[in-house]
Amino acid sequence: MSSPTQDTTTQYPNAKRTRPEGAKKHIIAYVFSLILTFISFAIVMAGELTNSFVYTLLVVLAILQVFIQMTFWMHMKDRGHTFAIIAILTGCLFVITFIIMAVFWTWW
Amino acid sequence: MSSHVEETLPHEPERATLEGRNKVTGFWLFLGGETVLFGTLFAAYLTLRGQLNGGPSANDLFDFLLVAIATALLLTSSLTSVFALQAMHANKVKSLIVWLVVTLLLGVGFLGLEIYEFVHYVDHGHGFTTSAFSTSFYTLVGFHGAHVAFGILWLLSILYQLKFRGLNTTTAPKVYLFGMYWHFIDVVWVFIFTVVYLMGKVV
Repeated sequence: MSSPTQDTTTQYPNAKRTRPEGAKKHIIAYVFSLILTFISFAIVMAGELTNSFVYTLLVVLAILQVFIQMTFWMHMKDRGHTFAIIAILTGCLFVITFIIMAVFWTWW
Repeated sequence: MSSHVEETLPHEPERATLEGRNKVTGFWLFLGGETVLFGTLFAAYLTLRGQLNGGPSANDLFDFLLVAIATALLLTSSLTSVFALQAMHANKVKSLIVWLVVTLLLGVGFLGLEIYEFVHYVDHGHGFTTSAFSTSFYTLVGFHGAHVAFGILWLLSILYQLKFRGLNTTTAPKVYLFGMYWHFIDVVWVFIFTVVYLMGKVV
């Protein structure tokens, strides 16, 4: 069981070209994540808005960022990811139940 | 094992074998479970974050700059792990290892910052048993930090295997799964800096 390691680098002499075209969209996802993070920090640091509005906006921004990262970086949009989506959504269903119970039931 | 030794790897080496595909499917199930784990910790934190018992509050403790740097480190390490995976798909082992090492260093930087942060908080009278807030805070953020620490050890073992066994249809799924794990850790951090740090600074 010898491993075919030696050939893997030498057969790509034009190394500059071999980065797949996909790199660009990942950098865009990264920049979008940075912008969303920046907006989150900015609205809290500004401190001008009402608390409930800031809370809502923060949650929306976080969900948006997670959506971007999961679709682009975790390949959820690619085909053959039905099971992945079912697994994560089932997890999220539990989480939403827990958080609603914790926030709206415990202290009220 | 396949009957022939490949000159080049298949297009997506992590899915080339049944074992590799099963690992990816199983890993998503694991991530679903991890979501539930962190969900319970978030629910506990949200319930208890107002119970200070005379200790410092979130607003007293948290510092924007520290959280921003930690966020930038982890987000960038997520991007470099994407580059590592792209290098793997292009069959460039050297570049794959370089990007994984960059990811590793960024992860170590994040972990170091978190350790500094916790030591700093303990010095300010925010120990694990100070209040219900402090206990739920350390449990949630510490669990995430433990995941980062585990990811670093995992990555070290993958780098060892890549160095001495090379990239093949056995090691490729391991690299791919690590990438998934690392993104998941980053996704959890997005909710931590939103729910714990930023909401803690909203007065």
